Amino acid sequence: LICSCQRRACQVSLGDLFDRAVKLSHYIHSLSSEMFNEFDERYAQGRGFITKAINSCHTSSLTTPEDKEQAQQIHHEDLLNLVMGVLNSWNDPLLHLVSEVQTIKEAPDTILWKAVEIEEQNKRLLEGMEKIVGRLHPGGLGNELYSRWSGLPSLQLPDEDSRLFAFYNLLHCLRRDSHKIDNYLKLLKCRLIHDSNC
Amino acid sequence: MKRKSLQQSISSITYVPHHLILFHPWQSPPGKPKIVRCHSPEKEMLACWWKPGSDGGLLTSYTLLYSKEGEGQTYECPDYTSAGPSSCYFNKKHINSWTTYIITVKAINEMGSSISEPHYVEAASIGKPEKKKSNKVVMLNFISFSPGQPPGKPELIKCRSPEKETFSCWWKPVSDGGLPTNYTLFYNNEGEESFYECPDYTTAGPNSCYFDKKHTSLWTIYNITIKATNEMGSNISEPHYVDVTYIVQPNPPVNLSLALNKHTDGKLYLLMNWSSPPLADVRSGWLTLEYELRLKPEEGEEWETIFVGQRTKYKVFSLIPGEKYIAQVRCKSDHGEWSKWSSESYIHLPKEFRLKDMMVWVFVAVLSSVICLIMIWMMGLKGINMVACILPPVPGPKIKGLDAHLLEAGKNEELLSALGCQGFPPTSDCEDLLVEFLEIDDSEDQQLMPNHEKGHPNKNLKSGNKETDSDSGRGSCDSPSLLLEKCKESRIPPAEFQTPDFSETQVKAAGKSSQETQNRDPELKLPDFNSDGVKSSTWPGTQLASSQIPKGSYHNIVEVCKVAFSAMNVNVSAIRMGNEEKHPSKYSKNIETICEGEMTQRRKGEICL
Repeated sequence: LICSCQRRACQVSLGDLFDRAVKLSHYIHSLSSEMFNEFDERYAQGRGFITKAINSCHTSSLTTPEDKEQAQQIHHEDLLNLVMGVLNSWNDPLLHLVSEVQTIKEAPDTILWKAVEIEEQNKRLLEGMEKIVGRLHPGGLGNELYSRWSGLPSLQLPDEDSRLFAFYNLLHCLRRDSHKIDNYLKLLKCRLIHDSNC
Repeated sequence: MKRKSLQQSISSITYVPHHLILFHPWQSPPGKPKIVRCHSPEKEMLACWWKPGSDGGLLTSYTLLYSKEGEGQTYECPDYTSAGPSSCYFNKKHINSWTTYIITVKAINEMGSSISEPHYVEAASIGKPEKKKSNKVVMLNFISFSPGQPPGKPELIKCRSPEKETFSCWWKPVSDGGLPTNYTLFYNNEGEESFYECPDYTTAGPNSCYFDKKHTSLWTIYNITIKATNEMGSNISEPHYVDVTYIVQPNPPVNLSLALNKHTDGKLYLLMNWSSPPLADVRSGWLTLEYELRLKPEEGEEWETIFVGQRTKYKVFSLIPGEKYIAQVRCKSDHGEWSKWSSESYIHLPKEFRLKDMMVWVFVAVLSSVICLIMIWMMGLKGINMVACILPPVPGPKIKGLDAHLLEAGKNEELLSALGCQGFPPTSDCEDLLVEFLEIDDSEDQQLMPNHEKGHPNKNLKSGNKETDSDSGRGSCDSPSLLLEKCKESRIPPAEFQTPDFSETQVKAAGKSSQETQNRDPELKLPDFNSDGVKSSTWPGTQLASSQIPKGSYHNIVEVCKVAFSAMNVNVSAIRMGNEEKHPSKYSKNIETICEGEMTQRRKGEICL
């Protein structure tokens, strides 16, 4: 990123910050999507996991826009707040995912390294978003949103079937939430940086 | 417990006390009976027969039920016996014409019951059965249909969203059992209890359901099922779980335009421009699209595919001028699927006039013309030689020459006969010949070229002296050869040839040897020889005298030979050279060499004088 010296401080432009954030969110979702598909193919065939994975994400307590109209109506501050809330809510689960996924029988290397990569990139994205928030709202966003994750025990269940379903569910929720974040950030970027004229 | 056989229980309903029912593992509800046929044995009568299914190891009873189409009420068979076992008999009290009757058979046993497929019977006119007048028998007054089937299981094919705001689902129509089938789609939103029906069956085409913006939510799972219904029943598909987030496939991009532009350095390039599909909201950032182009020349087989990213224009260099190109573009949502390729766009590139190419050709042309000119000039310089090379010289007339081998062998007669000469003087005539030769020289010398005497006498003397210094005889005998050698060496053109000089040397050389003979010789016939007007002769001496020498011709040589030899015959005795006796063979050789030498020299086109 190119630093332009403004106001006695070397600052990366907001546009560049958003570009970087969008790249990260795009990358995280691609990884999550691949990871889910690999897991689904390998472990979930014929088990009917999807029928059970309804309303099972820990972040569903955070009310997020569900279509374009809702997303366009919401104020960018609130949207940013939501993004931060979701990202923060995933810190913990991702950490445990990395450690627990290794206990899956014959887990392929691709799933393992993806888990590690997602966890790392998520941290970077959080840092970048904090910078953006700091730039846009120096005083902070106020009401910090957060959803606690309590799914660790289910990842450690003795019953193989239940454990696999717990992983399936977690990966399913990760895929969904990473897509949400990616979509919201792209929306915000066009709105704030390009004046809704991408 | 008594167990009656199946046959026994056909026409009666047997009551089996429940407390007597015991569970046996092999017992099961009865199998489905099947109505075999319905037939009118007599007028206004109908009988139907059925085939029982498995009895499940238990006592099974059968009940035939019928109802009129359109009416709800069912009736039971009035008569189970008249038509035989597993049958039902209807008479006209029960059957009306012009109605369709639906007949079913129910099998009941302790474990359960089973109903056959419905059998349709249409009562046409109930008329008298006609007697057999011909082979055609009109028997049935009742037409019975094959039973209808409930529909098969429907199946959802796919669901797609073109812009992440609405979506549509399509299903595969099923075998409808010959009856019209209705489809209903039910869906259930994640987190909601109730099921809803498809809001729009038409917008997306036949066998489809269209969900508009109001009915579309992202990041939720839709549980979708399809129900197929017909008169005979219904069938439900397996549940299909759909999240609109992951089914995005945009429409192809539009307005693909191709234009030729000139770059700053003068190069031509193709500028390709297109727009995102109309429904996609890229401006707000809701949808992010990436594009891919493909190009090929019209005649080409393989497409060149170029990934463009999010831009909507692209420059193409390195195209072949004069070719016609086809181009297409497609797009995909950032995490979705590729759209179909857009319709083809064409462009015809003009043929390029490249200055460089022309310069190269001009240079090549100039260079080759210069080379041609040089070659022609060089040919011009060499002139005759080149002409001679290209156009072979006209061969002169062929004259049989002296056969060297014959001469050597001493077969003089054969040699001369080949020449056409008559006779051959004996070698002892050598001297005479030489004397004659000398005489001629003298006369000629005095007559014709007095001026040249002074020219080169010294030179010739010297050269002549070298050879004739030794013996007198040798000198005179050698003179022809001497002349010949000199002739060969010097190559003097006729006009310049010092005829008198040679003659002088000859004379002088001979004179040293024998002056007597010199004096005598001029009187001989040899002046005749001169008077022949020999333009050229084998005797160098005589040639010396003649100014007409350059126009030599071969036949003259022969003539000269003849004359010379005849002269030799006559005057051979006059010439007495001491050395000649010693060298007879040499003399003959000398003559030969002279004759030959002349001829060869003539052949070469040189005139030896």
